[in-house]
Amino acid sequence: MIKIENLSVSFGAAEAVKNVTLEIGAGEILGVVGESGSGKSVTALTLMGLVSETARITSGRISFDKETLLEAGKPYDKALYRKFLGCRMSMVFQEPMTSLNPTKRAGRQVEEMLRLHREAWRPQGSEASGGERKRKGRELPGALTERDKAEGEDIRRRVLEIFRAVGLKDEERVYESFPHQLSGGMRQRVMIAMAAVLRPDLMVCDEPTTALDVTVQNQIIELLREINEKQKNAMLFITHDLNLARRLCHRVAVMKDGRVVETGPTEELFKNPREEYTRKLMEAVPSRMRKYGGIADSFAREYMGERPGEQIRGRGVCGEMEGPGDTERAENTEGPGDAVLEVRDLSVYYQEGSNSLFARNRKKCAVEAATFAIRRGEVLGLVGESGCGKTSLSKAILGMNRDIRGSVVHHSPHPQMIFQDPYGSLNPAKTIGWLLQEPLRARGRREASFRMSEADRRAAAYDMLRKIGLPETYYARKPAQLSGGQRQRVSIGQALITEPGLVIADEPVSALDVTIQAQIMELMQKFREEMGLSYLFISHDINVIYQMSDRIMVMKDGRIIEQGDTETVFHSPKEAYTRLLLSES
Amino acid sequence: MEQNLGRRNNKYLAAGLVMTLLVAGVALLGVFWTPYGTTVMSASEKFHGPSLRHLFGTDNFGRDIFSRVMKGAGATILISGLVVSVSGAMGILAGAVTGYFGGILDEVMMRITDAVNGFPSVLLGLVIISVLGPGRQNVVISLVIVFTPSFIRIVRSEFIRLRDADYISRARMMGVGRLRILFVHILPNTMSTFWASVMIGFNNAILAESGMSFLGIGVQPPDATLGNMLSDAQGYLTRAPWYALAPGLTMVWIVLGFSLLGEGLRRTQT
Amino acid sequence: MRYLGKKFITLIITLFMVSVAAFVAFQIIPGDVVTSILGTEATPEREEQLRAELGLDQPPAKRYVNWITDVLRGDLGVSYRYSKNMNEMMPVTELIGDKLPVTLCLAAVSLFLIILVSIPLGVLWARSRNRILDAALSVATQVSMAIPSFFLGILVTYLLGICLKLFTPGGYVSYRESFWGFLGYLLFPAVSVAIPKIAMTARFLRNSLLTEMGSDYVRTAYSKGCSDKRVMYGHVLRNAMMPVVTFLGMIIAEIVAGSIVVEQVFGLPGVGRLLISSISTRDFPVVEILILYITFVVIFVYFLVDVLYRVIDPRISGR
Repeated sequence: MIKIENLSVSFGAAEAVKNVTLEIGAGEILGVVGESGSGKSVTALTLMGLVSETARITSGRISFDKETLLEAGKPYDKALYRKFLGCRMSMVFQEPMTSLNPTKRAGRQVEEMLRLHREAWRPQGSEASGGERKRKGRELPGALTERDKAEGEDIRRRVLEIFRAVGLKDEERVYESFPHQLSGGMRQRVMIAMAAVLRPDLMVCDEPTTALDVTVQNQIIELLREINEKQKNAMLFITHDLNLARRLCHRVAVMKDGRVVETGPTEELFKNPREEYTRKLMEAVPSRMRKYGGIADSFAREYMGERPGEQIRGRGVCGEMEGPGDTERAENTEGPGDAVLEVRDLSVYYQEGSNSLFARNRKKCAVEAATFAIRRGEVLGLVGESGCGKTSLSKAILGMNRDIRGSVVHHSPHPQMIFQDPYGSLNPAKTIGWLLQEPLRARGRREASFRMSEADRRAAAYDMLRKIGLPETYYARKPAQLSGGQRQRVSIGQALITEPGLVIADEPVSALDVTIQAQIMELMQKFREEMGLSYLFISHDINVIYQMSDRIMVMKDGRIIEQGDTETVFHSPKEAYTRLLLSES
Repeated sequence: MEQNLGRRNNKYLAAGLVMTLLVAGVALLGVFWTPYGTTVMSASEKFHGPSLRHLFGTDNFGRDIFSRVMKGAGATILISGLVVSVSGAMGILAGAVTGYFGGILDEVMMRITDAVNGFPSVLLGLVIISVLGPGRQNVVISLVIVFTPSFIRIVRSEFIRLRDADYISRARMMGVGRLRILFVHILPNTMSTFWASVMIGFNNAILAESGMSFLGIGVQPPDATLGNMLSDAQGYLTRAPWYALAPGLTMVWIVLGFSLLGEGLRRTQT
Repeated sequence: MRYLGKKFITLIITLFMVSVAAFVAFQIIPGDVVTSILGTEATPEREEQLRAELGLDQPPAKRYVNWITDVLRGDLGVSYRYSKNMNEMMPVTELIGDKLPVTLCLAAVSLFLIILVSIPLGVLWARSRNRILDAALSVATQVSMAIPSFFLGILVTYLLGICLKLFTPGGYVSYRESFWGFLGYLLFPAVSVAIPKIAMTARFLRNSLLTEMGSDYVRTAYSKGCSDKRVMYGHVLRNAMMPVVTFLGMIIAEIVAGSIVVEQVFGLPGVGRLLISSISTRDFPVVEILILYITFVVIFVYFLVDVLYRVIDPRISGR
């Protein structure tokens, strides 16, 4: 039904999409999977005619049924596209926070879709020109006729209907709400309602769940599937997440560097990937196979080669391997003095409202009575959805939040932290070399015994640069010249150069592509072994946690609801919420 | 496309640079040498139009306008430069401390800057002058009082934006001292915004100084500034329009050159 | 609502602080008022008498309280300089009574012109795909922003008044005689005040529009099949106007200042000249009152802008 043939798109000299050919049949969900920069979004935006004006179509064409929408060499036909956009093809974007107009009520924004395309939903022939007349009428206040009023009510009824259909329960309230009054999940439902209200033939969904929490993510996927089944419309589902594509799509195309690497029916492609890249991508996805979990698992990895994670879910195999790992842990528990961090009954508070003189400040509890310890050389995983208090907890541990009750005892010299956002955690004004030296300078200034000469510091910085796997030429570069993964390496290097006993890593890989993610996790694991480090490893992704951690804590609404050995928690979760998290990823 | 954009940036920068350097050079020259004495009067040469002898013509006392513009532009630029440097330095200090630490001091400082900012700058300058009395130093002092709050505000909001940045949190965790965080870690990152506001501030200072001397409350005659020349010239608009045009257009030239320079710099950065 | 209450209290506090500052500033000035009014020749008895008349024999705190309560009651005190006749001093109220409306009208007409011209100009500029138009507007606004309003006033007087004879320089018509004639006369001064601000506002609006055009919801609107026009007027303009409203509020102070300076150029009988002459003759009661008035107007406009902002931006009013 929709054909993209041999499409190439360039921005200036850079070619973002190279000879891409895709086909979507009626009622089919086609998944396009790739890492950032693979050209998947540009392909979708080009299909929708929404790609920025600096882009040039250098070859190929896009056709919808029998009509050619876009062809290389021909100018972009706005009028033609307007006939298709909205009523025959619609789009759901990644960012529910910004994709809705912040100053218009949600209901109005969906209404606009109906008002723009009367021909798509009004009975045939009932005054196609009525729309035009109506629009004029709206500009003259007070000129509303009876028929316009009736139409207005009809539109409103339809909007409320679609709101209910996409699972917005309190539809009257949502209708009157501004986007900022709705949660991320609700906004994405409004977006989907908008895209689906005219029952288009094609819905393009560009990473519609990436910005959402896992539990919400799952509901949205189910909703899309339901819409596809009911409305029988085709979908182009773009994602970086292989698991999502596998769960929703009928067929999957894998993209890399602007090219389609491989296309095929979902199950076939996942069972027998033909291309090297597809296989690599699948392996990089954190799965329920522990790659790094201490001696036991490196042993397991050697024996089992690189089989996809799925097959190892039966834990029988690993259970047998657990032996040596267990004794190691037993040793650890013997001496309680071996803890690098002990947290007892820690509650963290924050002020709500502005900090103006007049505001009545209300204290809210971000973390309630957390108690745990981290032993030397151990990785403690902390999992929970956004807003559960993970970050408040980690900041409180490092003394960045003073409004706490309970006790935090450090047994390691200089605990450090690694943040999620690789773009925000390095000072943009400084060179990498300077950044790597700064922790040494700071420590030297505080403690005379650590004072180093300039040359020693330089040497240490170069040494660290090598250890984090960056070439020496990067010493003089600024963070802006580095990629996200490289920056995260520097962050790690900066945290580790003073040889701390404990590192708190707050979602260190969440902002990265899967293959980069795997590399960073490997690097962290390497340092752990070399330096006898302990990590408090925080993530919303339970699979990442599983790969990295010896023990796991599950956090929900500020409470630690479950705590235990990784294997125990994964195989016999005590809490319903943990089971929910486990089942959904 | 990108190349094209680059060329346009350079155009702004080049035009601004040429204009600014030219006027700065002439004004600097005026410190040491002018074609005629700025206070030399000549009854026989009243209201001569622009000619080779008198580039910008002569005024109601037969003084050479070009020489006076040279001196006047120098005085205006000097005063504005002083005002901006002092206010800028004070703005950095106060803005850094209030922005980073917040608290009561910040609250009080903000109320004061609110009050000062709410008041038209030329008028506030006038009021302060009326307290201090006219004169060159007092013009500088009053304009410093007028302009410092806006610098404090700008620096402060930058520090507020950056104090919770991840890389600052990390610096704190590394045990970097407060002063070092303020001036080594945060300050360099506020500089592009700061310089942009210095450019704007300089222009505003020129306009404010000229406005004050135009109203007769700034630098007093016989010392020439662009503002008081314009004020004198206003009475002879019908007879000698060049008298008003010369200082007026010089003023526009300085301000335009500087704002083009600022715009060019801003564009090359982004 | 609570927010507005808070803002209102801040407004009062700011005004109070300004009044104290103005009062204190004029207390610390060297020089005795009585001597400067009567000259050095006066007898000590006469000096004492005047001192008591002006209330200067009381302690400063008491004098402030007396002054501010009088002001709040509408009694603005008497001028040190101007007198009605030999025995009666000139009340400040009379002195500024018919001057203030002139200045405020000038500022209002200027603001009206700014809004009227800059918004369509900004929209046109943002929508223009024409490079020549874009460059022309860019140069024109850069140049207009560089012209100080008093020089612009002189240019307008020379070109439109003297060369083209569109109006008579100095031929002021009082609003008591003919309101429309008065407004007509205000037009040219207002143009002089407005042009640089029009350039600034149009530039600001254009940048704001371009920023908004790049945001995600605009892409959403296009994906619905909206036309360029509909995207601009139905979605973008309103959001882009929000920072412009704040910006306009911010330049209010400059517009008032510009009005006062431009009055000098056009010989308008506004408070500008009175302020300048009072400053140079150290007629402090008049200066204090004018400062209070101008601050009040400016801060009140800030307050109105805040209210307006809350009305048009649901993101804030919803809180």
